[in-house]
Amino acid sequence: MRYNSFGYLISEGFKSVFKQKKMTSASIIIMCATMFMFGVFYLLGENVNYVMRQVESQQGMRVIIKDDASESEIDDLKNKIQQIENVSTVKFYSKEDALASMKSILGEHQDLIVGYDEDNPFPASYFVTLTDLSKNKEVQDKILKLDPVEEISTDNDTIANLSRVAKSIQNITLVLLTLLIIISIFIISYTIKLTVYARRREISIMKYVGATNSFIRGPFIVEGIIIGIISAFITIGIVAITYEATLSKILESSVMKSLSISLFGFTDLFIKVLIVYLILGTGIGVLGSTISMRKYLKV
Amino acid sequence: MIEFRNVSKKYETGDTEAIHNANFKINKGEFAFLVGSSGSGKSTMIKLILKEEEPTSGKIIINGKDTTFLKPSRVPYLRRSMGVVFQDFRLLPDKTVYENVAFAMYVVKATPKHIRRQVPMVLSLVGLSEKAKVYPNELSGGEQQRVALARAIVNNPAMLIADEPTGNLDPNTAWDIMGLLNDINLRGTTVVVATHAKDIVDKMKKRVIRIDQGNIIRDEKGGYDGEI
Repeated sequence: MRYNSFGYLISEGFKSVFKQKKMTSASIIIMCATMFMFGVFYLLGENVNYVMRQVESQQGMRVIIKDDASESEIDDLKNKIQQIENVSTVKFYSKEDALASMKSILGEHQDLIVGYDEDNPFPASYFVTLTDLSKNKEVQDKILKLDPVEEISTDNDTIANLSRVAKSIQNITLVLLTLLIIISIFIISYTIKLTVYARRREISIMKYVGATNSFIRGPFIVEGIIIGIISAFITIGIVAITYEATLSKILESSVMKSLSISLFGFTDLFIKVLIVYLILGTGIGVLGSTISMRKYLKV
Repeated sequence: MIEFRNVSKKYETGDTEAIHNANFKINKGEFAFLVGSSGSGKSTMIKLILKEEEPTSGKIIINGKDTTFLKPSRVPYLRRSMGVVFQDFRLLPDKTVYENVAFAMYVVKATPKHIRRQVPMVLSLVGLSEKAKVYPNELSGGEQQRVALARAIVNNPAMLIADEPTGNLDPNTAWDIMGLLNDINLRGTTVVVATHAKDIVDKMKKRVIRIDQGNIIRDEKGGYDGEI
């Protein structure tokens, strides 16, 4: 593309954005609103996933040791587990530790475990945490092959609950994304239709002197892209402010202070969100303007 | 240059054919009038030449090429071989005379250098060098049509198609425009003018293709109604 025709595209695109002020603002507002909704759920989803990973990593797995294992076998097992790939920490809990923790859980109902001090039924165990949670299954399989391992117990309920929440947030995000795209394409194509209508004379002259359709379409597509990009930047500003405000409220709350769980700061996600918005804005702009041009290019 | 072979055109909305079995050939460098009362089929004929409409049957050959099956993406390139002038001038009101003419070069991606050389040249040809920076609404009808003419020929098309170019002009101005069309023709451009201005056609003594209710009823050199 020659420089002057590129300059023509950009300047014509900007001109029409400012000529149709009311309609352009209306479409920017609507796009921002839909993009904002999408952004809220997108960030919510990212954070739930993040929290899920933290919970998972804190949880680890409990490797129950056979009751008849000798001390040297137990020490040996620790070394073997530590040698497995992706294992982070291995901590020993003796039979006495297990009983003590049960006692503290039961509190005033100590009568339930009367006599256990003499004949302790709780097994000794290793608490194993991982460096890479996706390798959870592989590590479990390897540990189960070792001796004297009785079984592995993990508490999967919390993770299952969290992943259900994550799943439904993901679904809502997808639905919102679809709605956003449909509504925005509709509103942008309507806005550009007004510009096209206002410039129908110019378009027909262009057709008569032999301008190609892509040349005629150019400025309108640029107009669509400009609307999309402006909306993207406005929305990311609003999302940033809202997110930071909400985040500080959440982090101040006593619940979050008691848990050792952190959330994404907005800067961690900024580039990701911005890229998503820009792709959305540009794509919707191109599609919306192409749709609005179809009728007028048939001269 | 422009050849119609058994061309018929029936609009989807109409009951009768707008053009019925038209056959004629306009050669390179020729000057031809398409005449007939309004509704006779003149405008349809122009639209067919510009490929704004498709014939229902028959072939239209332009520059030796059958345009019947021309791909839509090739139509702009066909149109670059023809300049067009309309009754209502069709100038862009927010552009100056110079810009209106330059616009036609711009959209076919001419270089800025070429535009700077060519535009003043055609403006002087139509006698509007002094009005380059004026806007169309400050011009008389005749001057506006000259701008349209300048725009039509600025890309050096092989043919010039004019649809009622003098329809909105008083007789004297109409004559000026016809004189310009004649000058352009003398420089080698094929000129086709659709009109119902009998006095002009009679005086010009050019080839006249007369259409009545979609039929070509006469095609010979002379006046509106035949030999003078």
